[in-house]
Amino acid sequence: MRKGSLLFCVFLIAVALCSIILARGWAFKAALFPLSVSVPLLVLATIQLLVVIFGKPETSGSAEMDVDFSTDVAPDVVRRRVLGIFAWIVAFIALVYLLGFPSTVPLFIFLYLKFQSAVSWLSSVIAAAITWACFHMLFQSLVHIQFEAGAIQTWLGM
Amino acid sequence: MFDAFIDGLFLVLQWKAFSLMLVGMSLGFCVGLLPGIGGAATLALMLPFVFKMSPAEAFAFLLGMHSVAATTGDITSVLFGVPGEAISAATVVDGYPMAKRGEAGRALGAALMSSLMGALIGAVALALAIPIVRPLVLTFGSPELFMLSLIGISCITSLSGSSTRAQIKGFAMGLLGLLVSTVGQDRQSGSLRFDMGLMYLWDGLDFVPVLVGIFAIPEIIDLAVRGTSIAGDRPPENLSRGVLEGVKDTFRHFWLVFRCSVIGVFVGILPGAGGGVAQWMAYAHAVQSAKNSKEREGFGKGDVRGVLGPGAANNSKEGGELIPTVAFGVPGSGAMAILLSGFLIMGIMPGPDMLTKHLTITFSMVWTLAIANVITVLLCLLVLDQLAKLTYVRGSLIIPFILLLVFVGSYTANGQIADLMVTLIFGLLSYVMVLFGWPRPPFVLGFVLGKVIETYLFISMNRYGFAWLAHPIVMLLTAVLVAVIAYPYVQQRRQRLARGASA
Repeated sequence: MRKGSLLFCVFLIAVALCSIILARGWAFKAALFPLSVSVPLLVLATIQLLVVIFGKPETSGSAEMDVDFSTDVAPDVVRRRVLGIFAWIVAFIALVYLLGFPSTVPLFIFLYLKFQSAVSWLSSVIAAAITWACFHMLFQSLVHIQFEAGAIQTWLGM
Repeated sequence: MFDAFIDGLFLVLQWKAFSLMLVGMSLGFCVGLLPGIGGAATLALMLPFVFKMSPAEAFAFLLGMHSVAATTGDITSVLFGVPGEAISAATVVDGYPMAKRGEAGRALGAALMSSLMGALIGAVALALAIPIVRPLVLTFGSPELFMLSLIGISCITSLSGSSTRAQIKGFAMGLLGLLVSTVGQDRQSGSLRFDMGLMYLWDGLDFVPVLVGIFAIPEIIDLAVRGTSIAGDRPPENLSRGVLEGVKDTFRHFWLVFRCSVIGVFVGILPGAGGGVAQWMAYAHAVQSAKNSKEREGFGKGDVRGVLGPGAANNSKEGGELIPTVAFGVPGSGAMAILLSGFLIMGIMPGPDMLTKHLTITFSMVWTLAIANVITVLLCLLVLDQLAKLTYVRGSLIIPFILLLVFVGSYTANGQIADLMVTLIFGLLSYVMVLFGWPRPPFVLGFVLGKVIETYLFISMNRYGFAWLAHPIVMLLTAVLVAVIAYPYVQQRRQRLARGASA
């Protein structure tokens, strides 16, 4: 946790420094607002970094006003599952890039349900088909959203 | 005037206008549930259909659709932690933790009933304010709007934890949000900022992919990590009782709902501020209403007041936004700008005529806002039991569908694959923020308000130099700003003194 907080402070400092350096090359009007935000960000992130390094650990009374992740799962399981879901998300985006949305939707639903959720072949196929039908009716027929063709279709000239 | 008020009701209740309102409401219901497809985009898509309608029918159709989208947007926010609309993001902060705690029914009941109260208060405000709002809108120029945006950003003090460290983190996150909002072409000089050589970034980052990533991705990852349903392994709540409890919560905290509705109306009246600001100001106000630090720490962990405040403000701002649109033809938001096109299609010129010649139509809008929300909330309350059961479905079964909602939603913002990358990047940033205890609401507030603040600051400086600082309303708003920043500290000090006295 402490190491992570340290890294996040360093990240914020790097972001602030980068924006200050970049803003120096812009016109005054364009640079003024980013600079007036980056400088205090740099100061606050540095203070927080020093607090993390030299200060006492945070008490429960200083809780942030945001959700907490569940803590009742073993750390190695957490790591494995985070990497797993992250891989699925990246795979989804990669499929959309390669095949386009209309083809990815049923394929992704089928693959996830079959191989991640261990649902039977038949149920996975039915769920994928229903999802595709809903997607087609709602987004393509009713709302007329134009989905980009996938890279493969473009390459094949389809 | 009373005759026009009653005639307005009869206009809406004519079978054709009423049927069209129901059609609009059904569309708005779906649009509200789906992340990304905003009410404004749907208004634009439906505009061609109003050519053959009478003005009363057209406004019943368009307003019925638009007002309902804000109400149902809260449903996905509570159930899956995915904001159904950009203006429903604040509901996620406490609504989703309630669902995780097995209180989805209560959270939904509270969100819908507060939305209804907000919509009704917004409609009443619209009815009452039209004759008297002119001086208010005309006295708010860019300096006053800039100060109002600063008051909005000062809510960071309430959206961060109570300790000094939490305040530092909160302000740092707010500044990061402001910095992210500067990505893209600068409106004043035309320079490109942080565009990384990508044309996609020239227009800046769109709200939808960023907000959906910030709130949805960490929740999806957490759901996958837990390996349970959203509500965990808790025994299912008595859903009907939970929904009823949420409805009762609205009346238990009636004054909070009322105050947040007034915030929504006020922010809605002022052009440029928008629902994104109203919800967070209302949320911050709900946090400020906590009596002590222990109560305050419950926010973000599933306090029902964190659902009631934004729920009410989201809907009341619809009435507020209509006031300048109808009275002066000055749209309060993007959606209202599209509605303004509807006025022109109907051959109606917004302005004084709406208060004299077309007063009946103006009141028909008030009735549409009220009736559409009453019907939607009553229908939703009937099916909430079934909706809330989704939180007890095994996580691995609903994750692919939530992912689909999230990414289709972000894609609809600009129709580019890059939108998906933005969602992923901000989702990961948000995951790291939650993991290491950096609060997300200040970041979102900074991101939403950044462009508004910068734009109004430059207009004020160009128009008045530094003289705008001496405007009476600016000075008054400066005092309010100081009070908003100081209030949490004064509250803490008072509590410390009270504890010292009792010890």
